[in-house]
Amino acid sequence: MEYEFLLNEVLQKVSIEKKEDTYVFSDGEKTYLADIHQISPFQISVLIEGVSFRIFTAKDKDSRYFMIDGQQFVVKEPTEQVEAFRKGEEITAEGTILVKAPMPGKVIKICVSKEDEVRKNQTLAIVEAMKMENEIKASVDGTIKEIHVSAGDLVDSEKPLIELEP
Amino acid sequence: MFKKILIANRGEIAVRIIKACREMGISTVAVFSDADRLSLHVQIADEAIGIGPPPAADSYLDMDRIIQAAQKTGAEAIHPGYGFLSENSSFARRCEKEKIVFIGPNSDALELVGDKVRSRQTMEKADIPIIPGMKGIVKDTSAIKAEAQKIGYPVMIKASAGGGGKGMRVVFDEKDLTLAMEAGMREAKSAFGDESVYLEKYIEDPRHVEFQVLADNHGHVVHLFERECSIQRRHQKIVEETPSQALDPDLRARMGETARKVMQVSGYNNAGTVEFLLDKDKNFYFLEVNARLQVEHPVTELTTGTDLVHHQIKIAAGEKLPFKQEDLEQKGHAIECRIYAEDPHSNFLPSSGKILYFKEPQGPGIRHDCGIYSGWNVPIYYDPILAKLIVWAEDRESACQRMIKALDDYVILGVKTSIRFLRDLISHPQFRNGETTTSFIQDHFADWTGDKDSQERQMLALLAAAFDSLHGSTARKDIHGAKKEIYSPWLSLGKWRLGGK
Repeated sequence: MEYEFLLNEVLQKVSIEKKEDTYVFSDGEKTYLADIHQISPFQISVLIEGVSFRIFTAKDKDSRYFMIDGQQFVVKEPTEQVEAFRKGEEITAEGTILVKAPMPGKVIKICVSKEDEVRKNQTLAIVEAMKMENEIKASVDGTIKEIHVSAGDLVDSEKPLIELEP
Repeated sequence: MFKKILIANRGEIAVRIIKACREMGISTVAVFSDADRLSLHVQIADEAIGIGPPPAADSYLDMDRIIQAAQKTGAEAIHPGYGFLSENSSFARRCEKEKIVFIGPNSDALELVGDKVRSRQTMEKADIPIIPGMKGIVKDTSAIKAEAQKIGYPVMIKASAGGGGKGMRVVFDEKDLTLAMEAGMREAKSAFGDESVYLEKYIEDPRHVEFQVLADNHGHVVHLFERECSIQRRHQKIVEETPSQALDPDLRARMGETARKVMQVSGYNNAGTVEFLLDKDKNFYFLEVNARLQVEHPVTELTTGTDLVHHQIKIAAGEKLPFKQEDLEQKGHAIECRIYAEDPHSNFLPSSGKILYFKEPQGPGIRHDCGIYSGWNVPIYYDPILAKLIVWAEDRESACQRMIKALDDYVILGVKTSIRFLRDLISHPQFRNGETTTSFIQDHFADWTGDKDSQERQMLALLAAAFDSLHGSTARKDIHGAKKEIYSPWLSLGKWRLGGK
């Protein structure tokens, strides 16, 4: 079977086949013969040429997480949007960019008004999470089409804050 | 001894204090905001009282609600932990008035050490070395030249209204002084509306070394040696260790004595920490007193064989310190890494969300102070510290190796953490050599990506994902079988109740 994954937001193509007790896995560069066992929903044991690896895993509604030697990898199914845009943004059918908060938090300040012309990297809003203020910046030059939130609102990473027309 | 203590905090430190109380046979009262109803500290306490909505100002910082919770439950003492109300002298005073013991310094000492100007004056009077600087603000260029000469170059121009680096200028030579002062004044004027600046000695590439002190209510003061906390990011400590590589026995003894003296002249009691800056020539300067239990207290506990929280409680109950200065010694080496919910790949942005799976490292010499469990949602309202990983070993090199292996074994899935960043930091040759200064991260980790040598791990992640996809997400279907493991072993531990309820 061939699969396409987004690994930490980068598209990767791989293949895997089961052959008797082992798996033939290829990451496009190299092919590996691996003995793989799922020990629990959270733990996978892998032997490749006698070398042992322990992989921890978990999943939520749209991501799978893997942790290997203290490093976490997030694997998602590829979608067109994620490839083209920065995290925290989404493009609408009309071609405007929906700017979202990168994490849930509280809107401290909206720094722009509707119809404002903004430059790339200009601060659009400030969102506070965990005692830290985070500036949400414009990814391109454009015009503010719509502002969906106001100061004091609690937002999650799904809710659009501002609509920007490039 | 107290029968019941209220812990006015949350997270790993509340858990740490609750455990200490349970060990001492003291009943515990947790307080929680609406965002913390399911937090670990609430679950392991004997009693738990809701104190309001999630924002700290309406809950953990609300003195009335906390005092009411103590009165309602009959708690005789309040342990404030760190942060929140721990260094608030009006809260300490309020507790004194309500006849509730505040487990920390008396309110007068707390007020004194919390006031930068007054404590600086007090220390100067007591011949404690402070960073040389002017007492007044700069008026004209001839006066500043004389002052700069007296202090010695390099000097730093600082805005008196200031902060955040605005108006700050470092001057290495007299010929640059006038220009720098004028620029600093202009910047201060535009940033704060006040052009006043003053001069202070500039300490190049300093180390941050602090001394733990315990003082009982009977005038006995001991220090429990140093902690080196130079590894900082945006002035936030992230790795601490003891002993410091920069101290020899003579310097350690002199700094320790100075720390004791700082506490004596401040009229301080209970646990506290005296912070110093140490320059390249091994001159040390008093910085401030942290009038509370510190986040990094475990490294001191592991190397001195003491339990600082037990001592805090005993001191607050009026007991005498059970040891003298000469009874204390350092043994081995301890390192602490703070595990934050933050994304080292995108500028250390805080990361909240659900911890899908959590497994702590174990083994000889490993201690893990933690406030989290699998299935817990990390709230957005508070400091993103999740846990602290502390190791002890016979020497520094072994402690580094032990820490690296422990970080390798640390699993937190679902939220982003600094674990891999910390692993790379401890592995860095400069760190291994003990060359730690406050600019360490800026110098060596400014462009860290975590991708170094990660090809194999990346391949394994893809392999595991492909394996999972091939088997049609078996794990997802197996949610009922998984449920037992989702919850942490903490929950199965019984409570320790007085009188065997």
